[in-house]
Formats: sequence, C-alpha cells, structure tokens
Amino acid sequence: MWNTFRLLMPALIPSWRFFRTVEASPRVQWTLTAQDEHPTDWQEFRPRRNRRSIAEAITQLVWNPRWNEALFLVSCAERIEVTAEPHAVAEIQRRVLADLLRSGSAEHGQVFQFRLVFVDWMDGARREQVTFLSEPYTVPAKVSS
Amino acid sequence: MRATEILLALAFLQHSAEHMALHRDERLLFLPRIVLSLALLAGAHPNLTVWGLMLHALILLHRFQGPYNGGSDKMGLLILFCLSMAHLAPPGIWRELALAYLAVQVVLSYFISGQIKIMNPDWRSGRALSDVFRFSAYPVSEDMRALATRANLLRSASWAVMLFEVTFPAAFLHPATLIAALGIAVMFHLANAILFGLNRFVWIWIASYPSILWLQGRLIGTA
Repeated sequence: MWNTFRLLMPALIPSWRFFRTVEASPRVQWTLTAQDEHPTDWQEFRPRRNRRSIAEAITQLVWNPRWNEALFLVSCAERIEVTAEPHAVAEIQRRVLADLLRSGSAEHGQVFQFRLVFVDWMDGARREQVTFLSEPYTVPAKVSS
Repeated sequence: MRATEILLALAFLQHSAEHMALHRDERLLFLPRIVLSLALLAGAHPNLTVWGLMLHALILLHRFQGPYNGGSDKMGLLILFCLSMAHLAPPGIWRELALAYLAVQVVLSYFISGQIKIMNPDWRSGRALSDVFRFSAYPVSEDMRALATRANLLRSASWAVMLFEVTFPAAFLHPATLIAALGIAVMFHLANAILFGLNRFVWIWIASYPSILWLQGRLIGTA
C-alpha cells in the first residue's frame, strides 16, 4: 500500500521540473564473451542512426516503440545511479538480452554483461564515466519476452 | 469531460499499441488497457471503464516501478485520476473541482517548467539546450548533435520556450489567447517529438486541453 502511494503521488502532485538542469546522460553498453574471457568489446545498446528521414519523423509521431523502450532504459539507468534498484537492473538485462537474442547476436552459453556509462561535456571535451557494471550472466536458450 | 475521455482513450490506444510490438509479457499486460480504452472511446459505461483504467494504471506503476515514459505517463495518470474522481463525485461542485484540478495542473506544467529554466543561467545563455543536443540521450539522430554548436539559434530557442512557458497562465484570461497558446503548445510538443522522439507527450498533453478550455469558460467566459 505504501509502495503504491509512493509511486502514485509524483503523478498526482507533479513537480513539472522538466530539464531543470542538464546532467550527465547515461548510455547502456553490452558485451558478450566466452566463459572465463575478460570483456573488452563494449557496444552501445541501440545506437542512434546518423540521419532520419522526414517520413520517419512523421511516422514516429504515432509509432515509436523501440525509441520509447530505449528512453525507459535511460530512466532505469538513472534509477540505478541513485538507488542501485534491482528492478531497474533486471529490466535492462532482460530487454537488452531479448534484443540480442532476437537479432541473433547472442548465443546460448555466452556470458552477457552490461554497464552504464555517463556522458557529459567538460572544458570543451566529451567525458565518459563508467558508473555501474552488471554481474556476468550466462545467456540462456531464450529469455522471457 | 467527454472530450477528455475520448482524447485520453486515443492516447492510451497509441501507447498500448507500441507495447504490443515489444515483448510477449507486455502484450498480455497492455491488452486490458486496449479493451478498456476502446470501451471508453465508445462511451460504454465511462464511470466503470475510467475506474478500470485507473486500477490498471496502478498495476502498470508496480510492474515498471514508476512511470514507463516519465512525464507523459505521469500526465496520463493525472488525467485518469481526475476523471475517476469526477465520475465518483456527484454532479456539481465536487465534480467541477476534479476537472479544475486537472486544468490548473496543465497551466502549472508549462509555468513551472518555464520558471525553473528562466532562473537557471545555463538556460538563459542557451548552454543548457546546447548540452541537450551535445551529449544527452534525447536527440533522435547523430546529425542533430551538430545543432549544439549553433549558439545564437539555441539561445533564441531557449528564450522562446521559456517566455512561452512562463507567460502561459496569462493566456488563460481570454478564450482567443488561450486557443492561440494551446496551438503554440502543440507545435512545441511536436518539435520535441521530432527532435527528441517524445511522441507520447504530444497526444497525452492534447488530451488534457479540454479541461483548461472548460475551466476558462467556467471562470472567465467568452468576455
């Protein structure tokens, strides 16, 4: 009951403080390795494309599920940064892994890890800081999706 | 109230459809919302369907441990809560208060958002908007990051947004200015959708506009 109240109140009495400050921004990166191999090759989850057509921009006004899912993972990353919330860790792991299995990038038995990299801009240069590294996780035959 | 219900049902159908394309467990999770939204759209027992949607929204809050899509989901919940209260209340002042609360929150959503920006020197100089384009997770394509170097453009855009937001409450004083302000607001949300992929904000904020148009007429009238 208290949890429901805690989740509901920010919607009923909103703060409306959109973009009050622009803080360091998270990126989710993943890696797949063989068992006992040290991860070195980190890939960004759903890197944004270089360009987008006007037709796509119009379509995405009504149909943008993958982008909205990516924004949800940004929220999860911010929650992990603040409270190391296990639910947020599980959400990122499940969604990234499901994506990798669907695309054929991940294979059963490989070791999956993700990390959070916070990006900002300091003294005219891009700065990146790894703030979270997930536990290694052996890729199952399939994940619940 | 009926216009709000129709627009809310359409906004819920849009975002529920997006979830149906993602994962199997989310399809099951959002199916009830689609059924209830269709019922609300058809006007079938709106008091029951609104409360059904409210209970379902609480399930979603638990499932995602908060709103799935930040501010847009919060606005959806707020509209739903106010409609639920309006249906629960007897016709008259209590019902009107529920809808008026929604309208006031819509005004505050613009005013507070503008006020906290205008107090921040980084927003006044255009630096904050430049940072949004330079390194935030929001620009939908890499070529948009080049906008980060357009200092004059971003300073002008920042001031245009801040001035629009902080002066929004003044538009409430006359129906013509309110309609014009809501038109600008829709353009603002469309720009955010095109630049940052925040498409759900467009439809859910539009769903809140009948309440503010109603309150303007109720309190001030057509002058």
